[in-house]
Amino acid sequence: MIGRMFRGGVHPPEKKLSADVPVKPLPVPEQVIVPLSMHIGAPAKPVVQGGDEVKLGQLIAESSGFVSANIHSPVSGVVRTIEPRDHPLGRKLPCFVIDNDGKDDAVEFTPLGDWPTAEPKALIEAIHAAGIVGMGGATFPTHVKLSPPPQFPIDTVIANGVECEPYLTSDHRLMLEHPDRVLEGLRIVMRVLGLDKGFIGIEQNKPDAIALMREKVADHPGVEVLALPVRYPQGAEKQLIYAATKREIPSGGLPMNVGCLVQNVGTLAAIRDAVVEGKPLVERIVTVTGEAVAQPVNLLVRLGTPIRLLIEAAGGATVPTAKVISGGPMMGLAQYTDQTPVIKGSSGLLVLGPEQAPVIEAGPCIRCGACVRGCPMGLQPTELARLVQNDDFAAAEAWGVLDCIECGSCAFGCPAHIKLVHWIRFGKAEVMARRKKG
Amino acid sequence: MLTAILTLTGVGLVAAIGLGIASRVFAVQVDPLVEQVAELVPGVNCGACGNASCNAYAEMLVAGTAGIDECTVMSDEARAKIAEILNIEFTKTDKPTAVVLCQGTTAHIQLKYHYDGVPSCRAAQLVAEGYTGCDYGCLGLGDCERVCPFDAIHVVDGLAVVDEEKCTACGKCVDVCPRNIIELHTTNQRVHVLCSSQDKGKIVRGVCDVGCIACRKCVKVCPVEAIEFKDNLARIITEKCIQCGACARACPTGSILDQGGPHYIAKINDNCTGCTLCARKCPAGAISGEKKLLHVVDEKKCVRCHVCYDVCNFEAIALVDEQGQEMIAPKPKKKKKKAAAPQGAAS
Amino acid sequence: MTGLLLLAVSAVLVNNFVLARFLGICPFLGVSKKIETAVGMGMAVIFVMTVAGVVTWLLYNYVLFPLDLVYLQTIVFILVIASLVQFVEMVIQKVSPVLYQALGIYLPLITTNCAVLGVAVLNVQNEHSFAEMLVFSFSAALGFTLALVLFAGIRERIEFNDVPESLKGTAIALITAGLLSLAFMGFAGLVK
Repeated sequence: MIGRMFRGGVHPPEKKLSADVPVKPLPVPEQVIVPLSMHIGAPAKPVVQGGDEVKLGQLIAESSGFVSANIHSPVSGVVRTIEPRDHPLGRKLPCFVIDNDGKDDAVEFTPLGDWPTAEPKALIEAIHAAGIVGMGGATFPTHVKLSPPPQFPIDTVIANGVECEPYLTSDHRLMLEHPDRVLEGLRIVMRVLGLDKGFIGIEQNKPDAIALMREKVADHPGVEVLALPVRYPQGAEKQLIYAATKREIPSGGLPMNVGCLVQNVGTLAAIRDAVVEGKPLVERIVTVTGEAVAQPVNLLVRLGTPIRLLIEAAGGATVPTAKVISGGPMMGLAQYTDQTPVIKGSSGLLVLGPEQAPVIEAGPCIRCGACVRGCPMGLQPTELARLVQNDDFAAAEAWGVLDCIECGSCAFGCPAHIKLVHWIRFGKAEVMARRKKG
Repeated sequence: MLTAILTLTGVGLVAAIGLGIASRVFAVQVDPLVEQVAELVPGVNCGACGNASCNAYAEMLVAGTAGIDECTVMSDEARAKIAEILNIEFTKTDKPTAVVLCQGTTAHIQLKYHYDGVPSCRAAQLVAEGYTGCDYGCLGLGDCERVCPFDAIHVVDGLAVVDEEKCTACGKCVDVCPRNIIELHTTNQRVHVLCSSQDKGKIVRGVCDVGCIACRKCVKVCPVEAIEFKDNLARIITEKCIQCGACARACPTGSILDQGGPHYIAKINDNCTGCTLCARKCPAGAISGEKKLLHVVDEKKCVRCHVCYDVCNFEAIALVDEQGQEMIAPKPKKKKKKAAAPQGAAS
Repeated sequence: MTGLLLLAVSAVLVNNFVLARFLGICPFLGVSKKIETAVGMGMAVIFVMTVAGVVTWLLYNYVLFPLDLVYLQTIVFILVIASLVQFVEMVIQKVSPVLYQALGIYLPLITTNCAVLGVAVLNVQNEHSFAEMLVFSFSAALGFTLALVLFAGIRERIEFNDVPESLKGTAIALITAGLLSLAFMGFAGLVK
């Protein structure tokens, strides 16, 4: 079934350089750096300290609140220390530094058992225990997402296999190589929410994945594969929900406000591993790509691996590196050091040369409207940028600056290379700060 | 003719009566005091007092819900006049000024990365906590310069610099700085630790050559314990500081700035009568001597605060430079006033 | 009925008091910095123009004309307008002190506003009936408000634009007003 189109959006070149490269595991490094915060919400509280021996999969930090997540050791070895280290978010945050003893000595995994008969509560607890968070990049703790308040019942669940960002192929490869894990994960979530219907959204530029998933869901009549037209940001949850159900989330609202729940296919595979094998989240698929690496690859990486090792595994940088981005080119975060580790939300590593990431000075706005046409949320980025430039944050709020999903469609289309997303982010930060002040 | 006069008078009367009634019905109490005070307030509407407009502030002054110290822009004369009108007490306060606690010009600092974003400090702070190698240093993109209503702060070589003459301490720059490194100090405080870095010395050394490396040399030389350490950063306790500048001289990186001065070493000459006043007043205990005998200044201990120079009544203390050259001659003795001759000759 | 409608359209668009007749330029330039104050001023002018129109028309037709005192028209009209403006000032000061502060000196300047006197005189000159006078006065004020709000909208927009130093402030405002006036010329011929 073809999904409905959302308004706006742009067509950046797909550049799926690594789409046909099978996932291969990256050798586990000698030392891993595991941040206490790889998720939205309160950082986890350490339960081990410097000097302690740890096993692979052992709980090393626990949730410190409702919206928080557990953290498990991705290697076996000794905790060297807990200290501030460079984090992909761009600042130094407390991290475990663990020396790997190379043995991969794992703790005993305790699977839940027969999940079709398990209680939803038990399933959610298993997901919580495994430290699972949204792996599409947002890193929202999954057990919280699966426990919406009773006044917002869910009637639709959508697996997000859209992967609309250029260059990234980790979800694509996951669906091609482990379709059963993804499907089982989706069915587990359907069991948790008590639903018999679910969707899997995949963009039409992945026909092999669509065909394969359709084959797999043939035995499960409740699950339907949606082949979605290629347009960025189809994979953004608001746009995906609209494509699947034609429901629009109200301003300031969440998917649960329209009875929907979206989960990345990577998260679903991790959910399946947690429930069926009792395995905690310690590794993920990362696409290492870009015109500046010798060989774009998809790697299965242990969390905490410094990204310079991934760049090496892709053959190293072939041209002077202009930019290293954690994530995709539209919404990823530029890194200022290659010492940062892979975290739960690191879907990709993009190494770009000066040609792909030129420094262009912003020109004046010619009011061409490309940003307005491109905005998937129906905002007017040019107006928002103008209001923020004039420090008129009250007006910016009135014009919907908080509704921006920071997808980058506006900046992508701007012929004057105005840093629209930056202006809008600035505006959002100021509006939130003023709200806090009261 | 008569009709014309009568008609006009008639219309005028109707209008007058109508307005008279209306003025009663729609009467608004306007305190004449408010108008008087409103004339004296600056009228810039800068918002330093926390009110939206100078008129609003004037109303609050008259109502007694605001104090005359809240407006830092008013001159002392205006303040005194308002105090007179409103019959309230007026005490002269030290004029405050904004101080940027950083010396990180582009020549001194390292950068974390090349920043290609919006030219605003608050916006730059959102990108990996800012592009300066030091997470606490001035970003130099001019948010403070743009927000200042008095043209008193400018970015020069990547560092914000305050023009003390123009600064009225309205506080707008303090609020807008995303790293909170601008503070308001009284102009009497001449010595400042111009660094805001809370990083350990090793890290500071790697990113800035004028940062505080927490070596604590300043604490050692301060004669009055006016420097404390918090989060790897030296802080001067302004209530205790005697403005001698010893800390600034001792600081190995130059992160403490002494805007007062110059400061010289005290040297006692033969006029000394041994009154011991200087020895007692010296905060560093640098003067020694017996009563009624010549006193001596220990050059190494002297913090150059000039207190002894000020208190000596015998022209016995000169101020010399490090080579011993006299820079300031001893203070002349106070001339005793001769008693006035009695009027007329005593008979 | 059509006659009244045409009269209204003419007063609001075709012969807009500010942009076509060039009356009332003072508040037009003085109060148009913000849309809110422009609307406030517009409301005040609507009230003054309409009521002034009615009162002056009544005075003219039932006092001045019968008593052969037409030559007193200007003085009497100004008297009426001045009193009305005073009245409006008192009401606004009581009801909305914020608007009162915002309008400032321009509120009493409605008195000397040639637009209000213009409406009164035009009513008399064109020998309007009562209905016509009512529609004309109200529409004239509406046109004034329209021009004011439009102009305020534009001025708010260009306030932060990169205007050359020599043109900043009143200069660019006048140029914009001229362009707006040109735009309104497009309505010429709408009503025959």
